[in-house]
Amino acid sequence: MVTMRRLSTASIAAIAAMVATPCVIAGELWQPARLTVEVTDRDGQPVGDVVIYATKNGADDDRQPHPATAIMDQIGTAFVPHILVIQVGSLVEFPNSDSISHHVYSFSEAKSLELPLYRGTTHPPLIFDVPGLVILGCNIHDEMLGYILVVDTPYFSQSNVNGQTELVGLAPGDYSIQVWTPRLRENSLPPELQISLIDAEERQMRVRFTEKLSPPHTSDRGGLSRPVY
Amino acid sequence: MQTCQTNRSLRTHPCLAGLLLCLWTLSAPAENDAHVLTAGIEGSFVQTSTPLTSWLEGGLGKLRNDENTDGLSLYHSFMNYSGRLTPTLNVKATLIYNPEQSNGLDLSEAFLEFRPVPRTAWRARFRVGAFYPHITMENIDVAWTNPYTLSSSTINTWLAEEVRTIGLESRFGRNFGANGQHGLNVEGAIYWLNDPTGALLSAKGWSLHDRQTGITGELPLRFGTTFEPFKELDHRAGYYVGGEYRYGKRLTFRYHHYNNHGDPTQGPDWGDTWQTFFDAAGLQLSLPWDVGLISQWIDGRTIWQGFDAGFDAWSTLLTRPFGKHRVSIRYDDFYLDQALMGGGVQELDRGSAWTVAWLFHHSQKLRFALEWLEIESTRPQFVSAGFPATVAETQIIVSVRYLLSNQPN
Repeated sequence: MVTMRRLSTASIAAIAAMVATPCVIAGELWQPARLTVEVTDRDGQPVGDVVIYATKNGADDDRQPHPATAIMDQIGTAFVPHILVIQVGSLVEFPNSDSISHHVYSFSEAKSLELPLYRGTTHPPLIFDVPGLVILGCNIHDEMLGYILVVDTPYFSQSNVNGQTELVGLAPGDYSIQVWTPRLRENSLPPELQISLIDAEERQMRVRFTEKLSPPHTSDRGGLSRPVY
Repeated sequence: MQTCQTNRSLRTHPCLAGLLLCLWTLSAPAENDAHVLTAGIEGSFVQTSTPLTSWLEGGLGKLRNDENTDGLSLYHSFMNYSGRLTPTLNVKATLIYNPEQSNGLDLSEAFLEFRPVPRTAWRARFRVGAFYPHITMENIDVAWTNPYTLSSSTINTWLAEEVRTIGLESRFGRNFGANGQHGLNVEGAIYWLNDPTGALLSAKGWSLHDRQTGITGELPLRFGTTFEPFKELDHRAGYYVGGEYRYGKRLTFRYHHYNNHGDPTQGPDWGDTWQTFFDAAGLQLSLPWDVGLISQWIDGRTIWQGFDAGFDAWSTLLTRPFGKHRVSIRYDDFYLDQALMGGGVQELDRGSAWTVAWLFHHSQKLRFALEWLEIESTRPQFVSAGFPATVAETQIIVSVRYLLSNQPN
């Protein structure tokens, strides 16, 4: 379930004076909008590491920033970050900061890869040019699990430990808002939400999961020792 | 110290090959971890309190030591080699040191492991050679040692004494559910050279120690005889099947059914061919307050000629880390009987044990340990030998272990 609250016109006008630099699209001056999101589970508790991304409908957004180079590292026999979101066309580096070798692989449709990351060697970054979910594993350490979500928009973010995040620099227009977390099966994720943003709008959005979330992925074994054998 | 009658030239070939391999890899540069060599040098001081002579000396004692063999020793030392031959093919070998044998150095395991890169959600892993089946939940440290206590549980002590898979094992696993929270593994193996499995258990009952039998090793029976536990006489392959379920990192449940398919009519001697089959289960749980629980259970039969023995055992260990320290306490319960011709059974070994251990990892290389254990059992053999029907043995071990490695850290 997703609920939204629109700020009053007066509030928008007040904030508009303080927001970022005005922009130009198709010869018209406009102020970027901001979408603030709060994510909670069905008990009202904040949920972190939830991905929110906004895809603009139509082709009138000329302000597509160039895709960057992101980093998916291996530290303490884990993928860091556990979830990496990138724009389609971005490069991803796999530096392996661990003191041991890893052998990263994925057989996902969006990117099939096999990267022997042996200690003392480096590997050039890989390009991710198909949108979709890439699930990473390590052929040496079966317990390792990571995700790269490739989205076709520059507007994406992940919620923090307080369940909060925001998307900034949004041009006015119609957007499709999507939510993703690995802790829900795909058919249990909230449906896409269509919103319209106007000049310099400050929009707030609340995402409340109605299905039970699976526990977050962790390397924590509690009182048990880590197997070496 | 008892010496075993061995064919020295044959027995030392695997040891020499192992040593040469280790020396070669030590000379290789360690800029990468393609070849990892680890040597564990462990000095121990052992003090036992027991009226019995150790089973290693042909006596009725259940411990590795007795009051005659107490004192300082290096017998927990080992050398472990892990090599990456190709991105998907590994080799692993472990040398152990059993000073009471003429071939003091022997291989406890030596195998190839093939790990193809998964192309679907299913992972396949294959092992060929000599290795332990995935039954133990406690012996998960380097060289199959125990990061919780020094002495293994009675079940794992028996696996180390006379159970080794010498053959081929296939394992298939996958994760499912949101976030891959559920894990499933299924495995099966076919093996040979395990005909005498059960001979030592039937002869001496259960034990509690950390000694591993090498694959070319020998084991003592009472009255001065010995036998080789890893040999093939009946030309029949054994098998086991098993499965494992995991929930995150905090719960693991394992089950195996094992049958060496031995022909109990083969061979005239006690150390020849036994038909041995058992079911084994294990549970590992992360409890609140950083406490870990590990429990194992086994139930089976072992048969040679007209001797038909039933055995069962279980253990539960609780453990908690305190920074670099770890404290563990384990209770073992064990039983062995023999089916009688006219019906009914004769109990051969019934008992229990408590083990308490403190381990301190001063660094990744240096570990201090202190363990106290008491094992009490009731055996008709005690009475025959002039002891009370029930005998308790206690042991304290203080040890320091230093790990050498060709890796930089």
